[in-house]
Amino acid sequence: MTSSPTQALAVAARAVAASKIYGSGDTEVRALDAIDVDFEQGRFTAIMGPSGSGKSTLMHCMAGLDNVTSGQVIIGDTDLTTLSEKDLTLLRRDNVGFVFQAYNLVPTLNAIENITLPMDLAGDKGDRAWIDEVVGATGLADRVKHRPNELSGGQQQRVAVARALASRPQIIFADEPTGNVDSNTAGEILGFMRGAVDEMGQTIVMVTHDPVAASYADRVVFLVDGKIVDELADPTPQTIRDHMTRLGA
Amino acid sequence: MLRLALKSLLAHKIRFALTAGTIVLGVTFVVAAFVTADSLRSTFDEIGVDINTGKDFTVRGALGFGEIANAPPVPDSLVNGIRAVDGVEVAEGRFFVDGVIPVDGSGEAVSTLGGPLAGVNWLEDESLSQYFLISGQWPQGHTEFAIGAETFANYDFELGRDYQVVTPTGPRTFTLTGTMQFGFPEDAGAGVVFSVFDTATAQEVLGYEGLFNEIDLRAVPGADLEDVRDRIEAALPPGAEVISSEEAAEEFGDFFEFFIGPLQTILLTFAFVVLFVSTFIISNTFNIVLGQRVRELSLLRALGATPRQVRRSVLIESLIIGTAASAAGIGLGMLGAVGLEALFDAFGASLPEGPLPLKLRTVAWAFAVGVGFTVIASLVPAIKASRVSPVAGLQEDTGDDGGHRRLWRPILGAALAATGLILIGRGLFADFDSTTAQLTSLGGGAAVVFVAVAVLSPLIAGPVVAALARPLPRILRTPGRLARDNAARSPRRTAATAVALTIGLALVAMVLVVGQSLKDTFSDNLSSAIKADYVISTESFSGVPKTLAEDLRDSYVGTAVGLDSDLVQIFSPVAPDRIEETFITVTDIASIGEIANLGITDGSLSGIDPASAVYVHDEVADDLGLSVGDPVEVMLVSGERLTVAVGAVFSNTQQPFWGEWLIDQSLHQQTASADGFDDWVAVKAATTEPEASLALIEDVLSAYPQVSLEDRQQFQENAESDLNTVLALVNVFLLFALVVALVGIVNTLTLSVFERTHEIGLLRAVGMTRRQLRRVIRWEAATIALYGAIIGVALGLAFGVALSVAIPDNIIDRVSVPGAQMVGLVVVAVIFGLLAAVFPSYRAGRMNVLDAIAAD
Repeated sequence: MTSSPTQALAVAARAVAASKIYGSGDTEVRALDAIDVDFEQGRFTAIMGPSGSGKSTLMHCMAGLDNVTSGQVIIGDTDLTTLSEKDLTLLRRDNVGFVFQAYNLVPTLNAIENITLPMDLAGDKGDRAWIDEVVGATGLADRVKHRPNELSGGQQQRVAVARALASRPQIIFADEPTGNVDSNTAGEILGFMRGAVDEMGQTIVMVTHDPVAASYADRVVFLVDGKIVDELADPTPQTIRDHMTRLGA
Repeated sequence: MLRLALKSLLAHKIRFALTAGTIVLGVTFVVAAFVTADSLRSTFDEIGVDINTGKDFTVRGALGFGEIANAPPVPDSLVNGIRAVDGVEVAEGRFFVDGVIPVDGSGEAVSTLGGPLAGVNWLEDESLSQYFLISGQWPQGHTEFAIGAETFANYDFELGRDYQVVTPTGPRTFTLTGTMQFGFPEDAGAGVVFSVFDTATAQEVLGYEGLFNEIDLRAVPGADLEDVRDRIEAALPPGAEVISSEEAAEEFGDFFEFFIGPLQTILLTFAFVVLFVSTFIISNTFNIVLGQRVRELSLLRALGATPRQVRRSVLIESLIIGTAASAAGIGLGMLGAVGLEALFDAFGASLPEGPLPLKLRTVAWAFAVGVGFTVIASLVPAIKASRVSPVAGLQEDTGDDGGHRRLWRPILGAALAATGLILIGRGLFADFDSTTAQLTSLGGGAAVVFVAVAVLSPLIAGPVVAALARPLPRILRTPGRLARDNAARSPRRTAATAVALTIGLALVAMVLVVGQSLKDTFSDNLSSAIKADYVISTESFSGVPKTLAEDLRDSYVGTAVGLDSDLVQIFSPVAPDRIEETFITVTDIASIGEIANLGITDGSLSGIDPASAVYVHDEVADDLGLSVGDPVEVMLVSGERLTVAVGAVFSNTQQPFWGEWLIDQSLHQQTASADGFDDWVAVKAATTEPEASLALIEDVLSAYPQVSLEDRQQFQENAESDLNTVLALVNVFLLFALVVALVGIVNTLTLSVFERTHEIGLLRAVGMTRRQLRRVIRWEAATIALYGAIIGVALGLAFGVALSVAIPDNIIDRVSVPGAQMVGLVVVAVIFGLLAAVFPSYRAGRMNVLDAIAAD
């Protein structure tokens, strides 16, 4: 893979003592337990952990899809906990990109329309040259007029990544982006994401439970019971598996 | 399977409550129609019993044909013959003549809300007449009268003073000697105003010299009524008949069927329209819900449920919905009957009040239509559900159906359309024995055409909707784009949703086109056919006294012609197997040319002596093969026959003044059907100065306080405003069909939003604001509504044009399309669509983004 940068990088997003608590009293569940974490600009971070460890919750709270119970979540200079529902929506639209596990695309829109959707919603033409570059990078330039149901699963996910990239967000969150595809397709999608970090300087945070997927990242953060328990830089599938075994996951 | 059906209903309660609501509305209409009609029937039945209390038999003139109200009078000498019959205790002749109006001390004419203003004679035997003296004395001789106690109390009257009374033989002055009461005090009034005279005065004043309306009699107590009846019958001359008081009561009640029956039919027709529209909504709801439950159904199938069990479970669901909706509809229908009275009141047509009887027949119909329509609507969805394969749940289903087009759809649609058009064509142009059969053919044809539209619509819905919504992306950007695509993505669903609106609007548009054509024809004909400057009429049932036309002529205001109509049967040896039962216009043939332009096409009004002639409209003459000089026999309801010849053929008719047959009043005056009243008096002023003419007319009219005078302009405006009221009333009823359509759009959108949960979650996640999301849903609804409205208005235009062409030229001779109203309908429909989206778009906006994305 690529070597990690040596100099200290600016932070794209950070959580400060972020807690997410469901229920109260005996039934209280701490999905996130006072987490402090930084996601640096231009880096690809993977969040791993067993089921119920809080990895998806962390991503949702970081991305402004869910609120933390206490603590702070900051994207760029903005503290998400101070925003209204409408401002959160606009922040997602303008500063955050998303790639979900499945159903990433609006079925009535074709590939290019899906890619430009956040910009269209903002009533913003976007940077045409940049969009062309992103589309070129997907390798789907000749299929941009196709509807999602005319694309393969891997192609659909690449379009989804391209959509996340198109508005040059501060950060992209990907939730098990390869969870629904075979390993060849997964490699194709992850390679594209890796390229986006290396060649376009994009910041990506990905939730996954697959060591091979996580090995594409620069850094892996391990979560257990709502706490960050470990970190690993420049991971390989093997080092990840070793860590996981040690964590009992 | 019953448990499964119940569970499924509970899981989708709001959706099914909405669906059932449309059926409830239809059943409400059915129940309200029956209850209102039954209430009217029982009210009139009770009056019938009341007015026939105290007597055993009535002797009256036998009818040649037609209705009891037209029964001819009998000679007054007959009363002595009847008194002589063994077993008769008492017999007296009596009158009940409408159109006798007392004028009170302040000069105000007594009026009623549609009840008769009766001139009657008092009888020696109060129990026979049921007229009871309350104060003063019964009138004696030619200068005295009495009035009803209620009228006395409500108006400015004093005993012993002189008052003017307007009678069929003209205005006269009488001294008020007493007040009376009909029936027993507790059922006093009955909405009738009484002016009472002694028998000889009544004969003279009411225009019945030597005659009685009828003779009432009571048998000796204990006498065998059958024997008495036989003996009376033996004593009667030809042309008279005897009926028992029970028969008379029944006849009286039945008489009002002439408007109660049609009223019930019209209300039931609206009920049918609502239920018909609801059927599409319910079918669509079942289809969508079952589509969303494919996973569950396939699991059931995988676990061993047979297709039959699945089908039965769906049908049980519909049975439960139908039953619940019918029960609710019965309750609301009772309320609806009250509301209906208020509605008619608001439109100026009061119905008499009475108890609201809920008959077993009403309940049976309510359940039959409520359950029937719901089960029919669920048949196709049930069959589809039973075809779900056990592995269907494993496949991806987006709820879209844009892809497949099956051959059966265009074939079935075309076949249905052809059938519907044939039925309509037959209804418009074939000869029918009865209007009911004709209307059934027309209505049935229209219903089949609507079904054809529902079948064919999915074939064009996709592209048409996309084309209609073309401007949306430009105006509303991405939300507009998504709204357009969402409306077009599932043509079957869009079509099924829109068809309810299509039907409602088609009917409204048709009514508006026919109404406009009717108005325009009427106004144009009026200016070409009527030469009179003024017309005079009255609210009173019997009409304007014939003396009015004479008085006007005597005043030198100009030509005054009375116009009356009478039910007759017409035979002619030229067309031996045809009997026309029709209304004939009785008028002054010598003067009619002064007030009317008949458009004589053959013969002339002075060719044959008017006293032996009949004049006929050219279309009828063609139809019967009649030409000038041909012999014609006119039979009156009294059974009298007038032998006349065709004097002239004319081409202009002008309802309500004259119709297709005319005879001279001198001829009619000699018959027993002559009643001393005209329907209208038309005046052609001698001078061109309206003020001078009006002064002369009003001077004459001061003696006739009950009549109203209109100039031609006012008459036309009033007639048009009456017609507008009727059109408005019809459209208020059709509005209920549009409400059902609105519910249909709400249903579909709610279900679609539910189905697209994931997509909505995604859109919200990538930055669509709530406002943008609501806009997407709102304009999707508006697009569906616009699609339904355009097809509906187009269809309604076609129906309206066809109907206007088919209706005989003397009623509608042109097609007028009220363009602004048509555009207005489309705009209203789009507003309906926007309204329908309020709830679904609110729900969509409230969805939790995370849950929506996580939903599967």
